[in-house]
Amino acid sequence: MEFLQNLLLLFRYLIAGTWVTLGVTAIALSTGFGVGILLATFRVYGGAMLRTIAALYSLVIRAVPVIVVIFILYFVIARFVDLSPFLSGSLALGIASGAYQSEVFRGAILSVPPGQMLAARAIGMSRVKAIRYIILPQALRLSIPPWSNEAAIVLKDSSLVYVIGVAEILRRAEYVSARTLQPFIAFGAAALIYFSLTFLTNRALDWLEQRYRVLM
Amino acid sequence: MKRIQFVLIAVIAAALLLSACASGSQTSQEGYLGTIKERGKLIIGTSADYPPYESVDEAGNFVGFDLDLIREVGKRMGVEVEIKDMAFDALIAAVQEKKVDVVIAAMQSSPERDEKVDFSTPYHYQKDAFLTAADSPIVLNKAMDAAGHSIGVQTGTIQESWTVENLVPAGTKEDQVFRYERVDQGALDVKAGRVDILFINADPAAELAKELGIKVALVTDETVIGGQSIALPNGETALKAEIDRILAELEKEGFIQKLQEQWAIP
Repeated sequence: MEFLQNLLLLFRYLIAGTWVTLGVTAIALSTGFGVGILLATFRVYGGAMLRTIAALYSLVIRAVPVIVVIFILYFVIARFVDLSPFLSGSLALGIASGAYQSEVFRGAILSVPPGQMLAARAIGMSRVKAIRYIILPQALRLSIPPWSNEAAIVLKDSSLVYVIGVAEILRRAEYVSARTLQPFIAFGAAALIYFSLTFLTNRALDWLEQRYRVLM
Repeated sequence: MKRIQFVLIAVIAAALLLSACASGSQTSQEGYLGTIKERGKLIIGTSADYPPYESVDEAGNFVGFDLDLIREVGKRMGVEVEIKDMAFDALIAAVQEKKVDVVIAAMQSSPERDEKVDFSTPYHYQKDAFLTAADSPIVLNKAMDAAGHSIGVQTGTIQESWTVENLVPAGTKEDQVFRYERVDQGALDVKAGRVDILFINADPAAELAKELGIKVALVTDETVIGGQSIALPNGETALKAEIDRILAELEKEGFIQKLQEQWAIP
């Protein structure tokens, strides 16, 4: 009975951290989404300059461990701009995720048949308009399966922000483990929460994928 | 995790380079101490996964010997105390970057750390402990007897550098040194037989051994270099003097002794 009660308390404690995890993940994924779309468009349709910038970003950021990006943002950039640990951690993950997402979207844009662009141009749409209304809506649908992969990765990478003091699920599990010396229970509970989150996210994205399926 | 430290050092080096030209001069005589008093708040960095020194209780409060001590120090400085928790490896960088004012985390001074931050006078001396599995045949009469066996240590600790400097030249292979983020992870590996010996601070050792059914093979002060100190920014003499003064006062009044009893620290 007491065991169950402790378990209940443990979950309640970890769920408070779950909101932090969700916040970090949401900011990181949406920052990465914006960066990713922009870079992918640059890569495919940009001039030599934009193409190079986008390719360099993707090359450098993907080569650097995420934890380094977090440290740089918190210990170096944040001395010029006032960023809370929560914000610098989330943005750092977003910057990193942007590079991976740009590759996801680039692949998706390239798999839209080139005739679509030619047809849009032929009926008098500008390039920007064609990208916005013809290419991206199709590319986004195609990118859902690989993107759900990225979403799951970012969700779990969000635990890295603990190094600069953001108490999300994993850090809270560490507090409990240190106090009770029962790491299996604490981390098992954390794993269960991560599993539920990943499961729900992936189901939601599966649904989106079905809903917006393109028949080509 | 060793990589994290390396990375941190690289990041800080870059940061210092960047700010070398931009660093402002402190005008007031008190320096950083003045800044803290003006702000009315002392910002503490700690790594709250190391009971009885620092941990988080069921209600989510930061508790422990170190934190009770630093709250009293803050009270006597006439300022509020705010506690920020982060990874142990990030604490020194946080002081250097003024993300926190001082660090209290059962931390001992060492030559490497001394280059980056200053330390108060030690407020507590502790011993080190070697733990083995309950049925382990290994006999340890002195610290050097651990040479040749695989050994677990906590990343970034004095025990880690002592192991590398003393046991590795004496027969423990580099790949027999296992580094853990937290001591309980190492204790579990010792219990499971993956690592022969766990080398940690003596204070959490007894409780850890009891909880997990392993044994404390040796408690020693041969390996101890310094006591636990409060880390503060380099060159802030006024701040150091103030903290040292308060620590001496607390020692004399028996406050520290009382805290040790309260937290069952030898």
